[in-house]
Amino acid sequence: MRNRVREQRTQRGLSQAEVAAALGVSRQTVISIEGGRYLPSLPLAFAIARFFDMTVDKMFDPADEEAGT
Amino acid sequence: MMRFIRPRLRKPVGIALFGTVYAAAWLVHGGNGWVPAIVAVVGTAAFAIAAYVRGGRDSDEDALYGSRTDERQQLIAQRSWALTGKVTMVAAFAGVTAAVADRAGWWWPFAVILAVGGFSYLLGLSNYGVGEEGPADDADDGHQVRSPVKR
Repeated sequence: MRNRVREQRTQRGLSQAEVAAALGVSRQTVISIEGGRYLPSLPLAFAIARFFDMTVDKMFDPADEEAGT
Repeated sequence: MMRFIRPRLRKPVGIALFGTVYAAAWLVHGGNGWVPAIVAVVGTAAFAIAAYVRGGRDSDEDALYGSRTDERQQLIAQRSWALTGKVTMVAAFAGVTAAVADRAGWWWPFAVILAVGGFSYLLGLSNYGVGEEGPADDADDGHQVRSPVKR
């Protein structure tokens, strides 16, 4: 599943550590989410979307779901 | 009990506790048991200090040592423990099978591990939600339900 976390973060000039601190997760988890290696839980997905002032379906794109990401 | 201890201290305290119990077992053993007891205490203390130091660093493993995991790190730990359980059960099965084939008397510790593992699995199923299906609601029991939306 593709997501726009990295794109939104860099647009706002934020570091992964800053995003992680704001979301209450580790920097490694932000890296994994950005790389598409970890699908966040629903509460975390909502928290991410809210943090970037977007909706969940805009932030996470299920188009690549069949690709097994 | 661990909830009353600062997160970073939980793993070191747990390690120290296990090491102390193990050392006490050697003391109860008697004879020259005090030698391995001292080795156990020193080794455990070193491991506990290392766990405390690592608990303050910035990596997935160190977050586990520091008991400050997020959801992904908890998932990693759960998967790792699940793998541990599976490997332990396979090893116990191999042990009990080898002991039976060898007509050895040391089959029973493996059988105990198998029994405890099997019981833990059933306990896990019962604790973590199996059997919560419940009866189907109105929409699923075959009766037509009138839509609340008026046309």
